[in-house]
Amino acid sequence: MIGLLHPDARLVDAANGVTLGGGDLHDRVADLAATLDREPPGMVLAAMPTTVAAVLRFLAALHASRPIALVDPRTNGERLAELADRFRPAVLFGDAELMPGYRLGPDRRLGGYQRRTGEAGPAPHPDLALLLTTSGSTGSPKLVRLSRAAVLANTAAIGVALGLDGDEVAPTSLPLHYTYGLSVLTSHLRVGATVVVEASPLTTRDFWSSMDRNRITSLAAVPYQYEVLRRLRFAPDRHPRLRTLTQAGGRLNPDLVEDFHRRMAAVGGRFFVMYGQTEATARMTVLPAERLPAKLGSVGVPVRGGAIAIDPGDGSETTEPGRTGEIIYQGANVMMGYAETAADLARGDELGGVLRTGDLGRLDDEGFLYLTGRTRRIAKVFGVRVNLEDVERSLAQHGPLVAVAGSDRLVLVVEGADDDRLARIRAEVVSLLGTHSSGVLVRGVDALPLTPTGKPDYRALEDRC
Amino acid sequence: MELGRLKSVFHDSLEIPKETPVSDLEYRSSAQWDSLAHMSLVAAIEDEFGVMLDTDEVIDLSSFNRARQILEKHGVVLAD
Repeated sequence: MIGLLHPDARLVDAANGVTLGGGDLHDRVADLAATLDREPPGMVLAAMPTTVAAVLRFLAALHASRPIALVDPRTNGERLAELADRFRPAVLFGDAELMPGYRLGPDRRLGGYQRRTGEAGPAPHPDLALLLTTSGSTGSPKLVRLSRAAVLANTAAIGVALGLDGDEVAPTSLPLHYTYGLSVLTSHLRVGATVVVEASPLTTRDFWSSMDRNRITSLAAVPYQYEVLRRLRFAPDRHPRLRTLTQAGGRLNPDLVEDFHRRMAAVGGRFFVMYGQTEATARMTVLPAERLPAKLGSVGVPVRGGAIAIDPGDGSETTEPGRTGEIIYQGANVMMGYAETAADLARGDELGGVLRTGDLGRLDDEGFLYLTGRTRRIAKVFGVRVNLEDVERSLAQHGPLVAVAGSDRLVLVVEGADDDRLARIRAEVVSLLGTHSSGVLVRGVDALPLTPTGKPDYRALEDRC
Repeated sequence: MELGRLKSVFHDSLEIPKETPVSDLEYRSSAQWDSLAHMSLVAAIEDEFGVMLDTDEVIDLSSFNRARQILEKHGVVLAD
């Protein structure tokens, strides 16, 4: 895609130190794009592991103007088949058994894949470039439809907000199918910077060796990773090149915000708190690092080309300081809409650049945004959004229970259950969410607290979590 | 001290069934010991043995045996 890959951009494979940059990177992407052009028309559905091959595939699809849907690399064969059945991709990358209506792809340069031989669905809309799963959808996920213009606009705006240039070196510290992780990749490639494709997590020797060996300049992390960094007694003076930290993916405890701001400021570095959603490609606001002390608790101001208003609950929109309500974001990075089936891929823009975020917040007198909650019931589990009503629906056969948001955890409160049943419910939820079991707590109570109207008292339950 | 105490810490914090042995366990070789569980394991080891691991020890704690060696450095000797 013209504009996304700067002529100087570089990819470093952390596994073997091999660098692919400049004309070589362009040629590889163009070559793979030409290979993709020979496949049947339509979208690409790709499991997205953190590997150079997967990144090249992604860039090639964009280059070939072919929409690509990126999914969690841990998606099992059964779930991939379900997605393929629903979206009828022309090309499928991932660990699924050969599906009816598909054959193994012949061109090994792309890696193992399946190509559709059966009937094609409607042609995807010409503006459509990228599809990401809405985190938190359990069962059959919806895809967020993002246009080429939205991806380019947000990628550029992130570069401006963070002051990125060609000297930056960023590791892939977050999964690439996840909007925040992907935006680190794209925003750096766009300005001609270096991205180190690193699959090991923060808690490994490999990660930190590669960090120093590759002279990493910035690190992107979600709240639980900041807990890890604090636990590791992260000391920026031990990494003289690393001078930028960014945070998104949910609310970070203000103590940690202040703590990491101080650690970075002490060495002349910067700490950015940001706010975004997949539905807005990635980023909506960034708090300029130098304003952090004065604006502690804020997620900052809209990225370039974006605007924020508050709906106090009556359908109106205001920017009046101090009014709390649903955050309405307007900008070129807003999605075209959702897709639940192949037919939806043909649809055009349905939002007109306006996104009702479902988040509650208020603006201050300088237009800085403060998040205060959610309009819908959502929990974050290790930075991933989980719809609490979906969880409750899928567990309905277990009798009265309520799902509430704990601190980066999902908490299930179950009425009148013994330990065996609690353990069974927990195992079921862990498998449903595909998360680590420490992200789910299950508690038994004699009776769920109710509001005067007889509904579960979520507020009371959350206060206890 | 007995090695069983370290085994129990592994079983409990990684939520590994009692009948599954842990002494050959390596970090990131099973879904139960991933990067998320790693931090709770480290915290549990510190609590159980009253030690404070430094950064290098946390990221070097890559197997059950390594955990045993690191504890030895802290003067916690575990007998089979």
